[in-house]
Amino acid sequence: MSRLQNLVPSFARRSAASDATATVRPWYEIKETPEAWGLTVYLPGVGKDGLEITAEEGVITVRGRRQWKAPAGWTSLYRESPEAAYELAFTHDNTIDVEKIHAELVDGVLRASLPKAEALKPRKIAVS
Amino acid sequence: MRSLIRYANPRSTLLPSFGFPTPVPWTGLENDIDHWFNATLSDFLSPAFENRFPVDLYEDQENTYVRADLPGVDRKEINVEMVNGYLTISATRKSTGPDGESFALSRSVAIPEGVHTDKVSAAYENGVLTVTLPKQEEAKPRKITVEVK
Repeated sequence: MSRLQNLVPSFARRSAASDATATVRPWYEIKETPEAWGLTVYLPGVGKDGLEITAEEGVITVRGRRQWKAPAGWTSLYRESPEAAYELAFTHDNTIDVEKIHAELVDGVLRASLPKAEALKPRKIAVS
Repeated sequence: MRSLIRYANPRSTLLPSFGFPTPVPWTGLENDIDHWFNATLSDFLSPAFENRFPVDLYEDQENTYVRADLPGVDRKEINVEMVNGYLTISATRKSTGPDGESFALSRSVAIPEGVHTDKVSAAYENGVLTVTLPKQEEAKPRKITVEVK
């Protein structure tokens, strides 16, 4: 079977419809200062309880679930907003001080500061 | 469009021991196609367009609801207007940087007839605006019992 999958790669693919864990990449911005990277992620509909930030093995992952569900009796006439969860992952080469990551979520916008590791900050060396 | 069709050299490593005389020419093409699709679709699927934001429309027996994704917008900067059967939501998003740019966002949605325009209310939570438009009595579904003789 694996040989067949090598020949015809589509045999090994999962169809998008059956994939219940499909995610959407949220809109985001990254800004750099000498001390830190500033990450802004737009996560409309995500509250604190639905947000998860993990940092492991050089990957920082932001996952957010929309908590709002249409109440019973509401009929949807027209939909544009994605129902899938948001997921955004960054790899970094351990230049971030993971212990000091600070994040806050206000009105569906996550602002996180990812401080650079001490070794990476620019340093002025006095010449005597 | 010519630049889109790029010939990718088939990766021979995919078929190391199969004994296929030549590498399958379409190997890798599927990945390329996936890539084009993802690159194109991600613009549509991403929740925040430059100045167009996703809007959902719902209704129940009493109200029509419009929900708009407006993350990170000050409540004071959101304007909701009903004009000629269209609901217009406009907002200004200020960037937090030192340059303090601001972006104007606006969206109009056609609303089914029979809305109590003076009873429209709006709430903002987790970056999503919900506008509630109460239906007029005439527009509400009514149950009429007809006597059959």
